[in-house]
Parts: sequence; structure tokens; C-alpha cells
Amino acid sequence: MDRNQITKWFKAPAKMANKYSLNAIYFCTGCGIIEVPPVITARWDAERFGIIPVATPRQANLFLITGYVSVKTLRAIIRTYEQMPEPKYTVGFGSCPINGGMYWDSYNTIKHLNKYIPIDGWIAGCMPRPEAIFVAVTHLWTLIDKDMANGYIKYRKNYKSYRRNQELALGKLEWPPLFPIAEQPQGNEQ
Amino acid sequence: MNKSLREKLESTFKNIQVTAVDGNRMVVTAEKRSISAILMSLKEASFDHLALISAVDYIEDNEFELCYIITCYMQDQDSEANDLHIILKTRIARESPDFKTVIDIYPNAEPYEREIHELFGIKFEGHPRLTPLLLEREYEIPPFRKDFDTRKYVKDLFDNIPSVEIEKK
Repeated sequence: MDRNQITKWFKAPAKMANKYSLNAIYFCTGCGIIEVPPVITARWDAERFGIIPVATPRQANLFLITGYVSVKTLRAIIRTYEQMPEPKYTVGFGSCPINGGMYWDSYNTIKHLNKYIPIDGWIAGCMPRPEAIFVAVTHLWTLIDKDMANGYIKYRKNYKSYRRNQELALGKLEWPPLFPIAEQPQGNEQ
Repeated sequence: MNKSLREKLESTFKNIQVTAVDGNRMVVTAEKRSISAILMSLKEASFDHLALISAVDYIEDNEFELCYIITCYMQDQDSEANDLHIILKTRIARESPDFKTVIDIYPNAEPYEREIHELFGIKFEGHPRLTPLLLEREYEIPPFRKDFDTRKYVKDLFDNIPSVEIEKK
């Protein structure tokens, strides 16, 4: 442990603990997932950075979206994201979740993933190298330190517009709203 | 190559064209109504594996082309079917895209026919469940047809979804 950070541990122990134990949900979308096995195994050993893949969304707090998102996958992504306990961080990996990438005129691929769930950081590239995951994670640490990785708070506050966008893309959703929609008038601040 | 099979096919069925592309491939072009009979006789001639059904949209001819790729699964040195791929092609009209299913001959045709029904809108008569397989939503024109305008579709659907306006504190 870095001795310079010991004051941070006393100030905000929960934040520091979250930061150094990012449990990534093992969710495979698209082609970018091929970069993840070398990252979590011996070659680029992600456990140095405190990242371990976990099996279920209920244990996870980091969501890597690795590659293009089809309309059918978006449904699974939203359900997975809503099951994760807070605080939760999402990182879009590759250029396809950013703006569609090479699938920008596809009939069945979601463009601009941040219209449907909040994204804390993007990794550009097609494909990014495995090292890019570590660059993103160290950057995510800085964001968590500065309270800027607040996608889950945005999701709670603007749930009405997120839900509206999800319904526009997917039609009717078969699960109930995660947060009460009626209690979200403009200017309801806490 | 395979003279006997070729002669057998040409003598049994009318309006059939058999061309050999190379040593391992044979293209058979036939009429719509004789497809199931040809498939049946090929299956008897130890071509027991349907590798793929694909469809092509020839919009300038106003026709769909269905393409069955048939091969022999267990390779046998003595068999005449050894190492030979038969590509069976037929054309159907674009206005009334109806065809008969081949599930009773090759049971693994089911997902291929479902997929072609979903993406090209070709209806396979006798198929037990032509339910959606891959797509989530309804399309006015099936999306793999040539007259489906993907850019217009993307513009109308995905680009019209507004970005989330973040409330300022």
C-alpha cells in the first residue's frame, strides 16, 4: 500500500475500499471480450489492480461493455446493470458502444450506449489493447477520488429519461421501474 | 468427376442444369417444384448432411434465390459422395415468396428456415414454428432485402432517441 495515501484511507475508507476492489461482472458482448481473458489471467494479471471477474451482477461493481451492443443485448445489459449494487461503475470498451463504430448504419445495433445507461468512462479503439483496460482503471480511480464517477447517481436522478429511451429502443419493457418514476418532478433535489 | 450421379440427376429430373465448378463442387440449378424430390434422391445417394441454406435477393430479376449446400457427413473412400459438395439452387418469385419446408428430409433445416423467414420474409409452408429467432422488433420490410434502407431506418429510429438531459444541481 502506498504510504502517501494513508490520509485518504482515514478520510474516506469506504471509497478507498471500493476503488481497490473492483469486481468486474463477467458479461460478454461483442468481440472485445477476447481481450479480457489475457487481462484477468497471468499475462496482464488484473488482480494487481484489484480487479477480479465475478459470476453474478449482485457481487459486481464494475461493468465492462466490450464491443457492439445489439438490441437484444441491450435488454440484458439494462437488466444486469439494474441488479448491480451501488456504487457501480461502467466502462465502454471499444468504439462500438461509443457511437456504433463500424456498425453505425446497422439495422440492429445500438448507437450511443450512454443514451440508455450511464457510462463513466470510454476506451476508444478497435480493438483497444489489454493495457488500455489498466489505463482506464487507473483513470477510474482518479474519478472515484474526485467523486466524478457518479454514473449511478445520474441514473437514479434521471431515471425517467433513461427509462423513456430504453422504451423507445426496446418497445415495452417487461420489468417494473427500478426507481419510482412519479416522484421525479423537475427540481426535486435532496 | 461423378459422371454417374450427374447422369442420374439429368435423366431423372426435367429442366435441371448440372455444372461442375471444380473437382469438389457441383452446382445444380433446378425448378422450384422439383427441389424436394431432388433433395430426397440426393439423401438416398448418401448425401446426408445439409450444411447451409442461404438466400440471395436478386432485386433486378425480381426473384429470390435459395441455395442448399449438401454434403456427405461421414467421409468414405469408396463412396461416390466422398468429398463432394452439392450446391442446389432455385429461384422463387419476389412477389409471393412462398416455399415448401425441407424439414421432413433434413431436420436441421429448421433454424435456417426460421432465420431466412425472419431476415428475408420468405414463408416456408409446413414449418412448425416461424417465430422470431434473432431480431427484437418488427420491421416493415425484412431487413436483408435489398430495398430495405438501413440508413433511413437508423436515422428514423436510433438517431431520433434523444440524449439524456442531465439535471444540474
